[in-house]
Amino acid sequence: MNSEENSKQNAREAGDRLLAEHVSEDPFAAAFKATRMPMLITDPRQPDNPIIFSNKAFSQLTGYSQDELVGRNCRLLQGPESDQRAITQLREAIAAERSLEVDILNYRKDGSTFWNALFMSPVRNSEGEVIYFFASQLDFTHVKDKQKELAAARSSAEQEVARRTKDLRDALDAKTLLVHEVDHRVKNNLLTIASILKLQARTSADTTVQKTLRSVLDRVEALSTVQRKLFTTADVERFDVSDFARDLITDMIGALRRDDIKVHFDLSPVLVPAIKASPLALIINELVGDAVRRGLKDSGGAIDICIRRLNGHFQIRVKDTMPPVDVEVDSEAEAFSRTILETCARQVNAKIERHQHHHDTIVDIRLPVGSVEESRKA
Amino acid sequence: MNILIVEDEALLALELESELENAGHTIVGVAMSSQEAKAIIDRAHPEFAFVDIHLLDGPTGIDVGRHLESKDISYVFVSGNLKRIPEDFAGAIGAIEKPYTMNGLENALSFIETFVRGENRGNIPPSLVPSPWLRQRQMTESRQQPQSQS
Repeated sequence: MNSEENSKQNAREAGDRLLAEHVSEDPFAAAFKATRMPMLITDPRQPDNPIIFSNKAFSQLTGYSQDELVGRNCRLLQGPESDQRAITQLREAIAAERSLEVDILNYRKDGSTFWNALFMSPVRNSEGEVIYFFASQLDFTHVKDKQKELAAARSSAEQEVARRTKDLRDALDAKTLLVHEVDHRVKNNLLTIASILKLQARTSADTTVQKTLRSVLDRVEALSTVQRKLFTTADVERFDVSDFARDLITDMIGALRRDDIKVHFDLSPVLVPAIKASPLALIINELVGDAVRRGLKDSGGAIDICIRRLNGHFQIRVKDTMPPVDVEVDSEAEAFSRTILETCARQVNAKIERHQHHHDTIVDIRLPVGSVEESRKA
Repeated sequence: MNILIVEDEALLALELESELENAGHTIVGVAMSSQEAKAIIDRAHPEFAFVDIHLLDGPTGIDVGRHLESKDISYVFVSGNLKRIPEDFAGAIGAIEKPYTMNGLENALSFIETFVRGENRGNIPPSLVPSPWLRQRQMTESRQQPQSQS
């Protein structure tokens, strides 16, 4: 009898002894044999801790007959794809005589694989010595497959999200580029329009033509100033009326080249939707332009501009003080300016009030803040 | 002053030219590309330049600016997109943002004239966006002469 046969014989005898301890009608042994849960028992006191007993369910799971299993170490279930970390865990648990739960890829007799949720625990006698190891197996390959499917589904969903995010980002970049391009063209066109007006005014010998072209240029340039102020801040949808007024008026009065004009600003930041920018800009342009035409450019004086929120209203107040001056008033130009002012005021639902005291002229423009905010939502 | 205009929009260049000539300046050349601009700079030695950033050969106005800086010639950028200007303004004293107004241009021009003459400078008009170094210099000067800023 060679040594392999000898050890197999020893394992079989150990299994027989184990069974002999239980009478044939022992309900525990019967349960062990008949359960659908694959189970086995090994004997650590024999060399290489061989299987001494396995049940029918274990043979069904692995494809090995009970006779092929007895006397073999459990590592016959391992194969090239089995996780080395799980194998190490198993070996250490046996050496340390403690129980272990581990998931491991095992191999059947025919070479096919299954995922095994292994539970192993030592069995001790009354002296506390480990006399057996008991192991149960649970094939959870289907769970593992589901996990793989889920992981694959998640990975493809993530890829899809990444792809769409990139599409959106590209679209946003394209849109931003387009807005800048359009903004650039609008600015260039406004300046080209202004250049054409100025060139013709310069080449014309007729003062009426010059005056008319200057009058058109003046309004075009108010709109140019609006366009320059748009898109300059982080908030591209809003327009600061006060910031606009300061620049427009400083430039307008500065270009008169008079030292005897005092400008006073009382400006609080007032942000309005960009869509309201043009009518409000033209309103301010007309109010200040009117003061300039009535005599500021001829005799100097003082001009006060106040822009603020007041009692739920948004107020623009322009006050000018001028010494009595004999200025030839161009009634046509004045009427035209009045038309622009009133039309723009109607567009933004504003009320105009005009007061005159001695040398002071005060024009009050009030518009409800609500109308400004409503249109922002629209 | 002998002035160079670097601008690829012919009508804008023509109008700026008449505006500057009306104010008593001489235009030594109008360039539409960076090569043209550099050639005029080397040949005609302008005292000042207005430089658009986007030219016929691309966004090369900055290169023209660096070339002017290397020759110690003062200049301003004239552009619709000030974000394109490098942080140090490439040596420019400032920038005039398009679309500028006639008033804005006149005010910027009178500041530039006194600056180039090296005279006591007034306030920077809103139409001229100062370079960081010019702003710094103005702040120092206004602190030294508080009475002139009233």
